[in-house]
Amino acid sequence: MAIIAIQNLTYHYPQTTQPALQDLSFQVEEGEFVAVIGANGAGKSTLCYALTGFAPHFFRGEMSGQVLVAGLDTRHTPLEELMLVAGLVFQNPGNQISGAKFTVYEEIAFGLENLGVPPAEMRPRIDRIMALTGITDFANRSPYALSGGQQQRVALASILVMEPKLLVLDEPTSQLDPIGSREVFETIRAMSKQGMTVIMAEHKLEWVATFADRVIALANGEIILNGPPAEVLTSPLLIEHHIGQTRYTTVAKQAQAEQLWPPERALPVVIDEAEAGFRAYKK
Amino acid sequence: MPDNLSLYIERDSPLQRLNPLTKLAISFSLILIGFLGPGYWLATLLFICVLVPLSIWGKIGPEFLQRTVRLILPLALFLFVMQSLFYPGGRTVLWRFWIFSVKLEGVQFAYLTATRLMNMVGAFLLLLLSTHPSTLMTDLTRRGVSPSLTYILVSTLQIIPQMRNKANTIIDAQRSRGLETQGSVRARIGALLPLVGPLVFGSLVDVEERAIALEARAFKAKRVKTSLIHVPDSVRQRQVRIGLVVLTLVMIGIRLWPL
Amino acid sequence: MSMRIAIENLHFTYPSGVVALRNVTLAIEAGEQLAIIGQNGSGKTTLIKQLNGLLRPSQGTVRIGDWLTTEHSVAKMAARVGYVFQNPDDQLFKGTVRDEVRFGPGNLGFPAEKIELLVQQALTLLELTDKADVNPYDLTATWRKRVAMAAVLAMDTPIVIFDEPTTGQDYQSVQRLAQIFQTLHEQGKTVIAISHDIDFVAENFSRIVVMGQGQVLLDGPAQTVFAQAEVLNSTDVEPPQLTRLGQRLAIGPVVYTVENFLAALRKENDMQGER
Repeated sequence: MAIIAIQNLTYHYPQTTQPALQDLSFQVEEGEFVAVIGANGAGKSTLCYALTGFAPHFFRGEMSGQVLVAGLDTRHTPLEELMLVAGLVFQNPGNQISGAKFTVYEEIAFGLENLGVPPAEMRPRIDRIMALTGITDFANRSPYALSGGQQQRVALASILVMEPKLLVLDEPTSQLDPIGSREVFETIRAMSKQGMTVIMAEHKLEWVATFADRVIALANGEIILNGPPAEVLTSPLLIEHHIGQTRYTTVAKQAQAEQLWPPERALPVVIDEAEAGFRAYKK
Repeated sequence: MPDNLSLYIERDSPLQRLNPLTKLAISFSLILIGFLGPGYWLATLLFICVLVPLSIWGKIGPEFLQRTVRLILPLALFLFVMQSLFYPGGRTVLWRFWIFSVKLEGVQFAYLTATRLMNMVGAFLLLLLSTHPSTLMTDLTRRGVSPSLTYILVSTLQIIPQMRNKANTIIDAQRSRGLETQGSVRARIGALLPLVGPLVFGSLVDVEERAIALEARAFKAKRVKTSLIHVPDSVRQRQVRIGLVVLTLVMIGIRLWPL
Repeated sequence: MSMRIAIENLHFTYPSGVVALRNVTLAIEAGEQLAIIGQNGSGKTTLIKQLNGLLRPSQGTVRIGDWLTTEHSVAKMAARVGYVFQNPDDQLFKGTVRDEVRFGPGNLGFPAEKIELLVQQALTLLELTDKADVNPYDLTATWRKRVAMAAVLAMDTPIVIFDEPTTGQDYQSVQRLAQIFQTLHEQGKTVIAISHDIDFVAENFSRIVVMGQGQVLLDGPAQTVFAQAEVLNSTDVEPPQLTRLGQRLAIGPVVYTVENFLAALRKENDMQGER
């Protein structure tokens, strides 16, 4: 069953003439890992907000078409109920720390307190999520004393503990260093492996290629590509729309023109495919 | 740099374990009684016979005394100098030099004011040093104080140090653009806008994200909130609180309608 | 006068007691393109903050041309060293992009005509001309970052420092950034950047300094630096995509750009053909 069903979604922020999203239609199956790519301003963040109901509930603006998340029509469902279904994690780790709590453990409990979960039920849920996101060691530290990557995992845990059916991530690693990025990506991958549906807007194409089951490319608020990573990430449209491509694709494409890459072979998006392709031709 | 502005000292003691409302009641009744109560020595007695023993009971005696003295000493000195010399209507001259004369009434007034202030500062410090802000807020929220209000209070304690870090970065960024921040008064005033501007604008950008983050954590959900931390209370403590309120009211009454 | 940077036996300890730099000696000639890489906490930021006097040596000296950083205020050093901070929101405060860009050269006391010329050039270089009268805070974060860069480049300093220039930037902006660095290089300016974006560093910097635990671990061109996989690993730097691919395929010398990867591939193929 599709957990997300979007039909002809068009969205304008208040007082703008250009739509931020234009006539989007797609579905996501339960358990899928979908990456959303696109240049800055292409509509990635807005799509994340639309999937979680912040557009239009929080930002106002004009919306037409329909967004169904786990059967709920986002336009007619209050934000607080959508939060139970779709969790949102975004770029800046510092701004996702609530400020209401003094330790990581309490920070993760914050969402559960707001939902009215009985305290006895909280502890096992928090313990499980902390282990899953690898932050058990920081339980008693201040969330503000952590590195960006650690903070982002706290933000992730704080959302996951509320047990949403769908995790929406808006460039979760854009402000992080390589170690922090890897920590966060690995955590997200672990969640996905457990069956969580993940939608992630992301610039880092090498990670997208490694993780995603499917890639949606946006340009000027419209979907230009929607398919498996190997297909989307090697499309010439990505260069045309300033999204870029991995160096593996670039180099193989040029090599192909010089007969240094097998002519019938698909272009690579990850290092293993690149290695295999070049090796095949060396013989 | 500390991560928050909380003064709480983590110690295992009966004072720390008291219900925050009880400590709040102790603090406020001590302050009010100290100011309104009769007698020249009352505030001094309250400090020495109530606050100091309570702080020792809470295993925070040294920190309590050190902080109180550090806060009150400069103020007390100022009071003594000003009041002993310039107290209006002072007649009993204790000591005289050059054009100045120290008067007994001034010294007495300064002493009374200083000890009352010391009693007040001490009462607040006892509360803040022995009570974790989140315990206090959890308890207040449970008793019906608006979660938005307690959120603002607690988050301020944590966000101010963050803003201080940000302010330092902004100062560095603007000095790197040739802004003189030292030197003449004019230079310093001229440097104000480039420093405050980014702090304010940046905070506005942050506020929207923080609001989204709070929504995402169901802060606005119309449900009965629960609390991870259980803040213990007891019938005995409630009796103590009622007693303190009655005592304070009696003091106020005596003050308003002297016998 | 040559704006050579000379760092000698530099030690730095923060007031908290954290030792951030240990005996760093580094000379950077005028016109070099230098990238500093290494994990967080390796001393990169502490090092570049020494270059314009934001931090001053606990021991040792830092010279910019004939100036010792200890003898001039940061505001004075700003005439020689421009510094673009990572987060543009730490510096933007004027009502329009143009005024924001004018602020730095204005502080340096240039004549009015020169200021206008520098502002115009910086706006053009960053493609901000059509946004000159917009309030910076009405722009997206990507564009605000460009405004911050223009604001520093308009100061026309012989040395420009960039802290994480590619963070939050998309493909097109990163490509534009590469062109800007090239332009600055052609103007004879020294460009120094701290970056985690290893592919960007490999393609745009002729000299790479690798830091770890407050020391310079490696210093040289990409070719030699990326050959030291173990040292890089010790400070958590993953070599560029193409270096890793080249190593797996065991083709020729260390490669790190599309061009030298293909060149190595061609050479390899020719050799195979001859056999």
